[in-house]
Amino acid sequence: MKMRNLAVVSLLFCAVALSGCRRTAAIKPNEAFGVYDTEADWNDSQKLVKLGYPESQGKRIFYQYCVWCHADASPAGPSNRSNLSPAPPLLNDGEKLNGESDEFMQNIITLGGSAMGKSPMMPPYGKTLSAAEIKAVIAFTRAIAQPPYQRPGRPGSQYATKQ
Amino acid sequence: MPAEDMGKLSYRTRLTFAVATVVCVLVLAISPIKDFRSEWKHYKRSFVRFAQGRPDTKKLLADYNSNIDQVWLPGMNVVDRCTTCHQGMMQPTLTDASVPQPFRSHPPIPHNVRDWGCTICHRGQGPATEVAEAHETTLAWEQPILPAHYLQAACGSCHHADLNETPQLARGRELLTRLNCQACHKLSDVAKPMLGPDLSSVGYKVSRAWIYKWLKEPRTVLDKDGNVTVNGYENGDESRMPKFRLKDEEIVALSAFLSAQKAKPIESYKISPAVVAAWSKKPDLLPQAEVRFRQMMCTTCHPLAVTRAGEIKLIGGNIGPELTKVGSKVNEEWLVAWLRNPQGYLAHNNMPRYGWSDEDLYKVSQYVMNKLTDSDLLTTVPKLEPPTDEQIKNGKRIFLEKGCASCHGLEGVTPQRDFGPDLTALGAKNASELEFGKAKIQRNLLSYVQAKLQDPVAVNPAARMPQYIWKTDDLDAVTTALLSQTGPKATSALQQLVVPKTDVTYQAVGEFAEVYERYKCYACHRFNGYGGTLAPDLSFEGSRAQKKWIADFLKNPQTIRPTLILRMPQFNMTDKEAAIAADYLAMAVQKPDVNPEGVDARQFTPAMVTMGKQLYEVKYQCQSCHTIGSAGGYVGPNLNNAGNWLTPAWTEAWLRNPQALQPDTIEPRRSLTEDEIRALTAYLMTLRAGIKPQASASLANGHANGQGAGR
Repeated sequence: MKMRNLAVVSLLFCAVALSGCRRTAAIKPNEAFGVYDTEADWNDSQKLVKLGYPESQGKRIFYQYCVWCHADASPAGPSNRSNLSPAPPLLNDGEKLNGESDEFMQNIITLGGSAMGKSPMMPPYGKTLSAAEIKAVIAFTRAIAQPPYQRPGRPGSQYATKQ
Repeated sequence: MPAEDMGKLSYRTRLTFAVATVVCVLVLAISPIKDFRSEWKHYKRSFVRFAQGRPDTKKLLADYNSNIDQVWLPGMNVVDRCTTCHQGMMQPTLTDASVPQPFRSHPPIPHNVRDWGCTICHRGQGPATEVAEAHETTLAWEQPILPAHYLQAACGSCHHADLNETPQLARGRELLTRLNCQACHKLSDVAKPMLGPDLSSVGYKVSRAWIYKWLKEPRTVLDKDGNVTVNGYENGDESRMPKFRLKDEEIVALSAFLSAQKAKPIESYKISPAVVAAWSKKPDLLPQAEVRFRQMMCTTCHPLAVTRAGEIKLIGGNIGPELTKVGSKVNEEWLVAWLRNPQGYLAHNNMPRYGWSDEDLYKVSQYVMNKLTDSDLLTTVPKLEPPTDEQIKNGKRIFLEKGCASCHGLEGVTPQRDFGPDLTALGAKNASELEFGKAKIQRNLLSYVQAKLQDPVAVNPAARMPQYIWKTDDLDAVTTALLSQTGPKATSALQQLVVPKTDVTYQAVGEFAEVYERYKCYACHRFNGYGGTLAPDLSFEGSRAQKKWIADFLKNPQTIRPTLILRMPQFNMTDKEAAIAADYLAMAVQKPDVNPEGVDARQFTPAMVTMGKQLYEVKYQCQSCHTIGSAGGYVGPNLNNAGNWLTPAWTEAWLRNPQALQPDTIEPRRSLTEDEIRALTAYLMTLRAGIKPQASASLANGHANGQGAGR
């Protein structure tokens, strides 16, 4: 029958045309794609903390300038932390640092301890490190904090914002 | 058909037309539907929905349009449409990890997307508007996006000089140098290769059994926990000689050939019989010898395994070879000759020529030959018959076949150059240009490079490349450095962006040149950008230190930094050599704007000193990092002898701005007034301590690495 032939031809035509609409296969998530750098969790060396670009820059600056007093071991071996009183917080000490705002952290690193009512043994780094470098160190602090750091979000907002 | 029916269409015809029309409309509708459903439009629409869910909607949608966005930079071959989907790229408020991709903003970096596009750094396909085409390897496009973990390779393809921000790339380049990859491969902008030892006279140095053992079993192994060990000890560093896939008869032949290499006789030295007679009978010879060995600070350059709290670990620097079992390796006559004059055996090597007394030479050589040994080292070596001419001939053939002469010099053998393929454009290769063999890996460049490094025969059974053993971090670092070798740029505009590496060298002049060469100052210290990084940079030493202090220090190096266990060895310089070096350092290596005579210490008053002490102890609390007396921190140098050590002019300039004198120093720059600077300097100049004899250096401190605190 002519009618049937027509229907078959048009269906085939449709099928061919529609095949162009096939969605391309989605890319498989590759973990390495999104991880710029990692840092072993200070309390559990088996666990790796994922770091983005700013956090990894913070890690580099931390291990050059801050590690001497804010960690229990330094690249040269012993830590200077035991010589200081009051003892400076370990960088991953979430109980002490999670409560402090980014603004406070930025200020105490920039202006030093005495300007912020803390130990004058913390020197000011505002003339040695740039504001962006100090921000990066804070980002690194937040990334390795134990207990983990929760960014203060706006209540009711789907996406926490930080201006 | 009757004529009156000509104008009328039958039911059937009309039906046919109707169906055909519907089909036609349907087909025509496919195109707009397909367009509407395209991936990029989907992301465009979701960005609007995302922005509407946020308080800053207006700001986020200020630049919104529903078309494809692109960055077009004609000179740089950039047509990047990435921002079509990655719409928050330049929105400062979308930095947080809670922002879903692809809308998150780019982290702050020195380059702006508008001026650089995306693919110059990230690779991938810029003009693509589909997720898979843009990011992955497809048939049409073979360069997938560079995974974030290896992204520093992109920095390195333009920045041939190292950047602070790219430590992984810098480590990779350092490894390419340390592992001497350039001996076989051509690489661009990697520092000059460090060759393996010249083997022309190796027959005098080690036994054939030791050579057999060395070739048979690699010193470096990966244990079951994934730790790299050298001679069974965990090592923070990499070993340099890789393992070649050699058959037993090849090792027999090679060891025969090498043990017959005796081009230049040893400069034999006979230690005074009186010294030998006096010491060889003493029951405490070896304990005494050990003390002397430690005092000589050999571990500043050479790593050594020690037992600390029941745990064996490697301590010491990484400039020279590891010495834990060296007593079972070398022959004693060779050792004595080597210690007296290392350059007599190997013309180009960085071991200083110490001024030895016979007593020290005897003690140290006895310690090395009797204590740094392992009686089991050679027990697995089969009995080797005296070498036959046939074996020696075969050994030479294998030596050349395996490319040994790429790294090792040998008298009568032409050095082998470009034994392996040119890798200067490896990072720009497409997957189709690579030989994957039967390896079951992803068909892309990254997988290829990693597979080849881990096991060269996996991708090519005929590979001549030897087997290296990698820690994961080092493998990733070397991969990054190799991927950064992208060859010449595609356009001249891009080529102009390349920041070349400048080669620096430092030539000492006058009488000092001899002292500088004899004691190899540059192996540890840096002069105007040239030299090692283990010890302080001496580029401005003449402005910093007082001449008398330099001369005293060279004669008897004191440790200035309390935490360091890697210290300057005592070279037993003569008074004349110390004076020449002090003269040169004080006069020739100065910071032009810090005149050592610029501040007169006589103008300091007791009132200034009192004020300075107050500032030091109370206002600025310098003791948190510096030690005076026995109290204080140990981040910065000990200041006990600051008055004899530092020049007042340097101290003032340093307090004003430490980074101006030493850019990477960790001492922060403070806001001191000129009066405060003067007062602190006055106080520091009153701190004086007599030079005490060097206390016996102890290895009790188990921390291996003293680098870093030296800044």
